[in-house]
Amino acid sequence: MILPKFDYKKAEDIASAIALYESSKGQARYLAGGTDLIPLVKLRLSTPAAIIDLKGIKQLKTILSEGRRLRIGANVTLFELKNHAMVKEYFPALYESLDATSCETLQMRGTIGGNLLQNTRCLLYNKSLAWRKARGFCYKMGGETCNVVPKAKACFSNYCSDNALSLLSLSASVKIAGPHGERKIKLEKIFSGDGRNPFTLEPGEILTEIHIPLKRSRGAYEKLRVRNSIDYPLLGVAVSVNNKKGRVCVGGIGPAPLIYDLKDVEGASVKEPAQKARQEAKPVSNTTLSPAYRKKMVDVLTQRAIKRAIKEAK
Amino acid sequence: MKDDLNIVGKRVVRSDSLAKVTGRARYTADLKFPNMLAAKVLRSPFPHARILGIDLTRALKVPGVKAAISGFDTYGVKWGVFRYTQDHSMLPTDKVRYVGEDVAAVAAVDEETAMEALSYIKVDYELLSAVFDPVESMSEGAPQIHEAYKNNINIHVHIDVGEVDKAMKDAYLVREDTFKAAGEAYAMMEPYAVVASYANGFLDLWMPNAGPHVRAKALSNLLKMPLNKVRVRHINSGGAFGDRSEVSPGDLVASLLSIKAGKPVKLVLSREENATSTRQVHDLIATVKTGMKKSGVIVAKDYRVIYDGGAYSSTGPIATSIPFYVYEECYRFPNVRYNGYRVFTNKCIRGMYGCHGRAFLAGNEAQMDLMARELGMDPVEIRLKNGLTSGEMTATQSRISSCGLAQTITTASKKTDFKKRWVKPEKGKGIGMGCIAIMCGFPMGFRSGSSCYVKMNDDGQATLVTGLVDNGQGNESMVIQVASEILGIPMEDINLINADTETTNLDPGAYSQAAAFVGANAVRIACENARKRIVSIAAEKLGVEEGDIVLKNRLAFSGKTPDKKMPISWVIREAFFRGDPIVATGTYFPNIDFEREWVSRPWGQMAGTFSFGTSVAEVSIDNETGKITVPHFTAAHDCGRPINPMVVEGQMEGSIQQAGIATIMEENLWNGGFLLNPDLLEYKVPLACDMPDIETIIVSSMDPEGPFGAKEGGLTIRMNAYSAIACAVANATGNLFTELPLTPDRVLNILERKKVAKK
Repeated sequence: MILPKFDYKKAEDIASAIALYESSKGQARYLAGGTDLIPLVKLRLSTPAAIIDLKGIKQLKTILSEGRRLRIGANVTLFELKNHAMVKEYFPALYESLDATSCETLQMRGTIGGNLLQNTRCLLYNKSLAWRKARGFCYKMGGETCNVVPKAKACFSNYCSDNALSLLSLSASVKIAGPHGERKIKLEKIFSGDGRNPFTLEPGEILTEIHIPLKRSRGAYEKLRVRNSIDYPLLGVAVSVNNKKGRVCVGGIGPAPLIYDLKDVEGASVKEPAQKARQEAKPVSNTTLSPAYRKKMVDVLTQRAIKRAIKEAK
Repeated sequence: MKDDLNIVGKRVVRSDSLAKVTGRARYTADLKFPNMLAAKVLRSPFPHARILGIDLTRALKVPGVKAAISGFDTYGVKWGVFRYTQDHSMLPTDKVRYVGEDVAAVAAVDEETAMEALSYIKVDYELLSAVFDPVESMSEGAPQIHEAYKNNINIHVHIDVGEVDKAMKDAYLVREDTFKAAGEAYAMMEPYAVVASYANGFLDLWMPNAGPHVRAKALSNLLKMPLNKVRVRHINSGGAFGDRSEVSPGDLVASLLSIKAGKPVKLVLSREENATSTRQVHDLIATVKTGMKKSGVIVAKDYRVIYDGGAYSSTGPIATSIPFYVYEECYRFPNVRYNGYRVFTNKCIRGMYGCHGRAFLAGNEAQMDLMARELGMDPVEIRLKNGLTSGEMTATQSRISSCGLAQTITTASKKTDFKKRWVKPEKGKGIGMGCIAIMCGFPMGFRSGSSCYVKMNDDGQATLVTGLVDNGQGNESMVIQVASEILGIPMEDINLINADTETTNLDPGAYSQAAAFVGANAVRIACENARKRIVSIAAEKLGVEEGDIVLKNRLAFSGKTPDKKMPISWVIREAFFRGDPIVATGTYFPNIDFEREWVSRPWGQMAGTFSFGTSVAEVSIDNETGKITVPHFTAAHDCGRPINPMVVEGQMEGSIQQAGIATIMEENLWNGGFLLNPDLLEYKVPLACDMPDIETIIVSSMDPEGPFGAKEGGLTIRMNAYSAIACAVANATGNLFTELPLTPDRVLNILERKKVAKK
């Protein structure tokens, strides 16, 4: 499939990227690794007049250990991050989720910022224009219906970042720069919960940094997929535990991750958060395995991830 | 194995390897010609709709568009592999029958312009109700897809040998089970592409194909052009797996556009189009009833198999038959009844596949294991007891001339300590075995044979000319190796011209497993005929007996007194001097019963010979998630003498992936008439990391007719690897599967069924 025509612009720094965006009348998209954006453009799911390449911005490529936090530039590749000495030692859940993301070739291309801001997915959405026109446009394409659950009011597309889950379990926050200045928010605040437009970022905003509290943690990431590489998660569960407290994050089902606190690790019931997550997860028939099975697996994989994290914590 | 051979049977580097691994090999999409246009196809957005009109006028006005066509620009000739299956007009004018069907096309100066022009084509449709399930499609009141086929039953193959009902009644143990399997994608690396170039009354075509002559003949019919004006030329193929045996709508589209525009036209399908609109693999529902004696001897089989055929006949009669035949060529069935129904649905056309029939074959094998256990036997014993041997006849009267089935069973089971592990599997683990036979060729009328022409060139090198086709499996290298052995010159001294309708003769093509047995046999005979001439001149010149002449390393010499020698090139030049250059032909026509017909006369000799094989899979199941891993896979194959063992092993490994590991993940998913996974992300082709440790074992039965004793190599494992996996899962869970592929959700259902049964 060939790409449609668009203007290509390369930004030197964050300010000029935002200026380029502002001059494009809202018709631009930012490009980092491109592993999410380019397929969307090929499928005509995104048809920007201009693409603003952020890869040349040096500031976005650094990893800094700064006292109480690790600052990760948004353009650090998944592969670089995975191989950073502190990640494996301090944040095992993150290490595991990075390692489970797609395959190494794509880890070398994809960036952590892009991974967090990847669009939600659905078997009936990620298709060519001809396919979608024939099937009819759904909510996420600007239509009036959901093609998976006919009378539904919402969009059930799945947010498929492996690493958002582990970063959430580590209580990460993100720095965002935009036409109206900079802000720093907790990672969970970037999710709108609406599959049509899954992020709260304003037009022109760039996710610039990810901050993780620099505390040694124990953790695990469990991923449900059919093949052992490349595949997006059909369900992902990240658990990080630190100082008897922990966080459980469940994703790959629906437009935003589910987050649960593990209050007392010592006396923790593994089953309780797992059952709660199973109750709250609402899979529909928009991936390759059945929704009933995925729901069941929420319980199984959540228990597994917690057990593994606790075991490693002891 | 007698091993006085120099090249054949050796692990030589394939003649095409270097070009392919360095990216220099040319495929259809790489072709560029002056003034070449790009074509795009407008496809049906509906699964079933009447065409009221197609208006191309606005598309033709788009600047850069050079031609536009629809079915109204054709002669309305319908294609069918058989006289009684001519139902596919390639570009329909009456109605569309599946989402993605070719409706109209444009050729323009570039792809963007062609894409834009498609949006200006206006098609008026009247929607019709559609049917997607074959059982529903067969029932009264279902939408009629073709007027000519009542209840949408496209093909009914009925075979009845012996007295099935009586034998079932007298049997000690009878079991009936129904197995389903989802359809698959061919998922070859090369999406379909075709270049057509019409000039001076000749139409030249390049496309990946499994038989250029049948392709040219079909196009000559569709275009009403004399056959000698339609020329299908040689090009590398990026995989076929059974999909590319027939003429494709794209061939007609590119040809018509090129004729209209007077310029070469290239049509390259997208990955999605390749999945939605070329061919897909049949979904299957197989009911298998087996009667056994207390001794484990099979006394009767009764089959009812429903094949979801999609919108058109394609290779229907063959596809409806093959799963049955490869099974009856493997085991002894004194009484057998087979009712195979191929049913139309409003889905893409289903074709033949290298792994065709997985529900039927895996179902048979897994059921046999369960019955064996009930009789206190094991899979090895019951297969040896019922397996055919050399000299026996199959139920439908094919004689088995060479058969290494028993050796493949015993070798594979010994290597894996099968019996012990099967009787008492460890928790969450299982081991399973699948067997099969494969015909090397099948009746195709006068196209069943192959011919080769060889000419010796003045520096001692040779040129082979043969219709033989290579779809990536190494057939080209194979015949060069055969020629090299006979002519005594190295492989690099041999040039090959093949799969070109202008220069080469008829050949059965690369879709009936006939390339080694038939194609290479013709090459062998041609080279032996050339060799006789070389030997005769050399003997005369060296003053020795003809029987004493050895050809090796570009030399002709006396075996008794090797000092008496001369370069082969001198012999060739001498022949030129005598005004009688060394050229020779060779033809091989297999001993097949040509009265045999798939539907009207399903008995008689099917093929010249048969290959055999046994696969053994070891599986490990996660009891909580149902996810299967396959740590180890062993395959033993009687392919006769392997001409290049390395290539046969490669085929076996590929088969383990495409059939074996695929059976835990590969399936086409549907939303009504819409294919949900027409891509390589959501269609789960097994990855390198999903592959087991593989052990391949070649058992050679040395076929008396095959070239140097060779038979088909590789496909045997493609049609039993899934059985091994399904049997291993049954061994691990104690339960039969009901549906393939064995994705984690289905495996968990099997495990939960077992829990319920225990309660």
